[in-house]
Amino acid sequence: MDIDRIAKLAKIALSEEEKADFETSLPSILDYVGKLEEVDTSKVEAKAYLTDSVNAFRADEIEESAEERQGVIDNFPSESGGALQVPAVFE
Amino acid sequence: MTVREIRDAIRDGNMTAVQAVEESLRVIEEKDGEIGAFLEVFKEEALARAKELDERKAAGEDIGRLGGVPIALKDNILYKGHVASAASKVLEKHTAAYHATITERLLDAGVVIIGRTNMDDAAMGSSTETSAFKQTKNPFNLMKTPGGSSGGPAAAVAAGMVPAAIGTDTGGSIRQPAALCGVVGVKPTYGHVSRYGIIALSSSLDQAGPLTRTVEDAALILEVMHGKDEKDATSIDVPEVAIAEVLSNSLEGLRFGVPKEYFSDAMDQEVKARVEEAIENIKQAGGEVKEVSLPLMEYALPAYYIIQPAEASSNLGRYDGLRYGTRGKGALEDSYREARSLFGKEVKRRIMIGSYILSAGYYDAYYKKALAVRTAIHDEIEKVFEDVDMLVTPTSPSVAWNLGEKFDDPIAMYLADIYTVTANITGNPAISIPCGLAHDLPVGLQFIAPRGEDAKMLSVAHAFEKLSE
Repeated sequence: MDIDRIAKLAKIALSEEEKADFETSLPSILDYVGKLEEVDTSKVEAKAYLTDSVNAFRADEIEESAEERQGVIDNFPSESGGALQVPAVFE
Repeated sequence: MTVREIRDAIRDGNMTAVQAVEESLRVIEEKDGEIGAFLEVFKEEALARAKELDERKAAGEDIGRLGGVPIALKDNILYKGHVASAASKVLEKHTAAYHATITERLLDAGVVIIGRTNMDDAAMGSSTETSAFKQTKNPFNLMKTPGGSSGGPAAAVAAGMVPAAIGTDTGGSIRQPAALCGVVGVKPTYGHVSRYGIIALSSSLDQAGPLTRTVEDAALILEVMHGKDEKDATSIDVPEVAIAEVLSNSLEGLRFGVPKEYFSDAMDQEVKARVEEAIENIKQAGGEVKEVSLPLMEYALPAYYIIQPAEASSNLGRYDGLRYGTRGKGALEDSYREARSLFGKEVKRRIMIGSYILSAGYYDAYYKKALAVRTAIHDEIEKVFEDVDMLVTPTSPSVAWNLGEKFDDPIAMYLADIYTVTANITGNPAISIPCGLAHDLPVGLQFIAPRGEDAKMLSVAHAFEKLSE
C-alpha cells in the first residue's frame, strides 16, 4: 500500500511515526473490512441513505445577519476589509 | 436532582434557576479537577442567564418546558459566540458564528448551558483518549475510561455535575459511554434530530441525543430537540407525541427479541450474566421474550469501518485552515497539508482509509459493497421486527477498561462498538440503560426499536427502569 500516494490524495502531512504506524495498521483494517466479500449482495441495492425521503426542498431566501456575518469573519485566519485573504495560488 | 425535579422545583417556586446553576457549578468545582469532563465552563454567563430566567419568571413569563435546567454540550455542537473545537487541534480557535438548531431549541425551552465537554478528536474514538486537550476519567473508577466519543458528556452526568448533556452518536458514541458510566443514553431514529450546526463526522450515520440519569429526563430533552428542520435536509417529520406523557410502567404483552449473535463467548461473562438477569426480569414482568437471529450482524462493524471513514474523509475535507482554524504556511497546497497535519493520529488514519477506499479502482470494491451490505442488514432487521416489538441486547461487550489499554490497537478499540453500530447502520433508534454492575463497574442494557418508534422505545426503557428500582 502506497502511504505517500494516499497522503497526497488526502492533502495531509504525516510524521515519520504516523507513516510507520499506517504501513501496518491500514492493511490490517482493510483486511478486517474485507470480510464483507463473504456477503452475497447480488440481490440488494447499494443506497447512500436508507431513509425514504427524497429531495427536501426549501425556498432559497437570504436572511441577513450582521452578527453571524461578523462571527464568520472573526474566524478567518487572515482577513482584509471583511474579505477572506488566502495564500497565493500561482507563483 | 434530575431534569424533571429541577424543572418542577423551579416551576413551583421551591428553587431558583440561579440555585440550580450554582449547584451544578459547585459539583464541577469539586469533582472536575480529577474527572476532566469539561473543556470549558461558562460560569459567569450561565449565572447571568439563570438570573435573567428567574427575573422573567418573577415577571410572570413562561420560561419554557425546561426552564432553568443546567445542561452541558458535547464540544461538536455549535453555541454561538463560544468555541466549538470537536476536541481537535484543527478547530482549537474556532468560535461558533451561529447556534446549532438543537442549541436554539434547547435555549428556547429555557435551559442554561453550563459548558462544553470533552470528546474524542473529531468524534473518532471509543474512549475519549484521542481528545487533543485532556483525558476524561470514569467517575466510577478514575483508572478507567469513560468510553467515547461522548466521554465528557457521560462523565459529567454520571458525576452529578449536570442532570443532562447532549452528545452525538455515529457508531455508539452516546450509548457506549452511557453504558460505561452508568447513565441513560439515547440515539434517536436517523433524521429525528437536526444536525444543522453539529460538526459532521459521517452524514449517513450521525445523530444527536441526550445523556441523562433517568429515561424520563431523556424523553423531556428529546421532546424539545427533535423534529424536522428545514436547515437539515435529512431531518424528517416526527410523530406528534408528548413522549414524557406516554411513558408507561408496563411490559405486559410486549414482544422482545434477543438476537443470539449478541451473546458471543468473546464478551465479558459477568456483563453477559447481568444482561441475562435483566432479560429474565423483563420476562417476569410480563414481557414475551424470544430468541431471534441476525446472521448479518457480524458484518455491521466492517461495513461501518468503510462507510464512516469514507464519509468522514469527505466531510473533513473542509478543514483546510483557510476560513477558520490554524492556517498552514506557504503556498496553497502546502498550507493545506500543514493545517491538516494538526489532526490527531486516529483522525488521520480514518482520513487515509476513507481516501483510499474512495480512490479510483477501489470505490466499488469497498464503498459500494459496504452500502449494499448495509441495505442487506437493514432488510434483515426489518424482517425481525415483523415478529417482535423491540430488540434487547448488551450495549457493550465489556465494562470500562483501563485508560490506555486499547489505545495502540485500533481494531481492539473499534470492537468496543460492536453492539451499538448496527443501529447507526440501519437508522434504528436505540437506548442504553444501566442494568447493574460487573467487576464493580456499570453495565448497559440496549433496546433497539423499529424506525420511528422512539416513543415506544422510551416507554419500554422507562418500564424496565421502574423494575430495577
